[in-house]
Amino acid sequence: MSRRRLTAAGFLLALLKYGALSAGAIAMMLPFIWMVLSSLMAPHEIMARPLVWFPARPQFENYARLAEVVPLGRMYLNSLIVTIAITAGVLFTSSLAGYGFAKFRFPGRDTLFISVLATMMIPFFVVLIPVFYLVSRLGWVDSYLGLIVPNLVTAFGIFFMRQYILSLPDELLDAARIDGASEFGIYWRIVLPLCGPALGALAILAFVYHWNSFLWPLIVVRSPELWTIPLGLNSLLIYASSPEVVNLQMAGATLAIIPVLIVFVLLQRWFVQGISLTGLKG
Amino acid sequence: MVGYAFVAPALAFLLVFAFLPFVFTIYVSLHEWNMLTPVSSMPFRGLENYRYLLLDDPLFRQTFANTVTFAVGNVALSTLLGLTVALVLNSRVRFRTFWRAIYFLPYVTSSVAIAIVWANIYNANYGLLNGILEMLGLPPQRFLASVSQAMPSVIAVAVWHSVGYFMILFLAGLQNIPGELYDAAKVDGAGDWQRFRFITLPLLKPTMLFVVVVNTLISLQVFDLVFILTNGGPVNATNTLVLYMYRTAFEFTRMGRATAMAILLFLITFAITLVQLHLLRERR
Repeated sequence: MSRRRLTAAGFLLALLKYGALSAGAIAMMLPFIWMVLSSLMAPHEIMARPLVWFPARPQFENYARLAEVVPLGRMYLNSLIVTIAITAGVLFTSSLAGYGFAKFRFPGRDTLFISVLATMMIPFFVVLIPVFYLVSRLGWVDSYLGLIVPNLVTAFGIFFMRQYILSLPDELLDAARIDGASEFGIYWRIVLPLCGPALGALAILAFVYHWNSFLWPLIVVRSPELWTIPLGLNSLLIYASSPEVVNLQMAGATLAIIPVLIVFVLLQRWFVQGISLTGLKG
Repeated sequence: MVGYAFVAPALAFLLVFAFLPFVFTIYVSLHEWNMLTPVSSMPFRGLENYRYLLLDDPLFRQTFANTVTFAVGNVALSTLLGLTVALVLNSRVRFRTFWRAIYFLPYVTSSVAIAIVWANIYNANYGLLNGILEMLGLPPQRFLASVSQAMPSVIAVAVWHSVGYFMILFLAGLQNIPGELYDAAKVDGAGDWQRFRFITLPLLKPTMLFVVVVNTLISLQVFDLVFILTNGGPVNATNTLVLYMYRTAFEFTRMGRATAMAILLFLITFAITLVQLHLLRERR
């Protein structure tokens, strides 16, 4: 008797659990589903009441029209160039300095490391105006340099890589030194390959962050030739008041989001690992 | 000495792009400047920019209050929901990876793209939400166009966007709790609730602290969402500090006031960081 009651309770609990999980999952996915559906609708279908869920005939020409309004290919190219350059730069500078702080003794090392940690407490908005002024004096406004260079080093990256490299055995480095390897060679051929998981996590965090970055590009870019994807999407808002462009905006959002979704599904394990690592270290 | 060579490039960079700009922000905040006149000849104004913001500028007070409202709402809801989903997914559940992926997905997408999608979903005339309300026989709402509903609507998008991130952090925290503790408690006759109350919650405290602090720091700097969803409107109901600072600097070119705003907001984020460090030290 009590056994049967238990399973009944267990069944109810499972029902509640999966019911709540599904309801939440629908809430999480519905905006994406609606985005794709309405990107294929005619304006009158988007405005239709009662609600129409599916376009009578998918209007793929919305995407062609979008390509006439914004330089789609250019936006993708710019986002790729800028994000890859920044990510590569961050990986290089973070591992280089992280290695220096983790495996060498030199006067003032701890003071210097603490000052690196201190700059982590300066959020970007605080230095936005001076950095923009600096970039404009260097003549980098409206250029790839202006988009890329101010992001090439992060205190967090240095901290993150140092923590990881601390755990690598010293004997390995000493052995390489005895074999006559150069200091940079040890970093490049021994330390870097051992940092795979940490570099992967940092790469994903940096890539997603800069792929989606908006405020800095908004300030530093003037001409449409240099628009990244978020800037191009922003330009679609000029027509926000008219429902005729809703499908264009949705098509733009779809094109911006789909590649990230594909990368995410392929690399989910790495995303989760990277984020978990930052939480545990913090 | 080789160590210097490895750390020097990054340090020089941080000096030029973080530390010196920080000092320069403080300097400009004590002056009047439009970014066009030479740095050497900007007129000194003492604490006038701060006095103006704190005493004479109702819009600063309003954006400050809005920012706090946004941060409190977003932190409370996304922390609570993130923890709830993490607890459910940490229990015995089928297709865990699938659920985790779905809840985490919005977090990796561009805030500008999702804000555009949500702006259309919220639209009072043709939006999806009013369509659904109509289907259910409920009256349509104005959402982002309404002074009273705009901020809750923005917070809802922020929670939807970030809840997966906090879920992942909580899951990592939960998986760090040794299973033996639960087994031992079971042997001692502790029930589900007691195990949650006396094992899970106390051992999750460091994660909780990290989540709340990080979430607060991010929320206080909200820009993308409000810029796209409402552009601070209607009548500044969703105008936030970083948005107001952006406009003051790059639309009205009043760099003195904008940098003073940056410093005031920085003082808040700095205080929060200090409290966190203090709490972490107490623990050890």
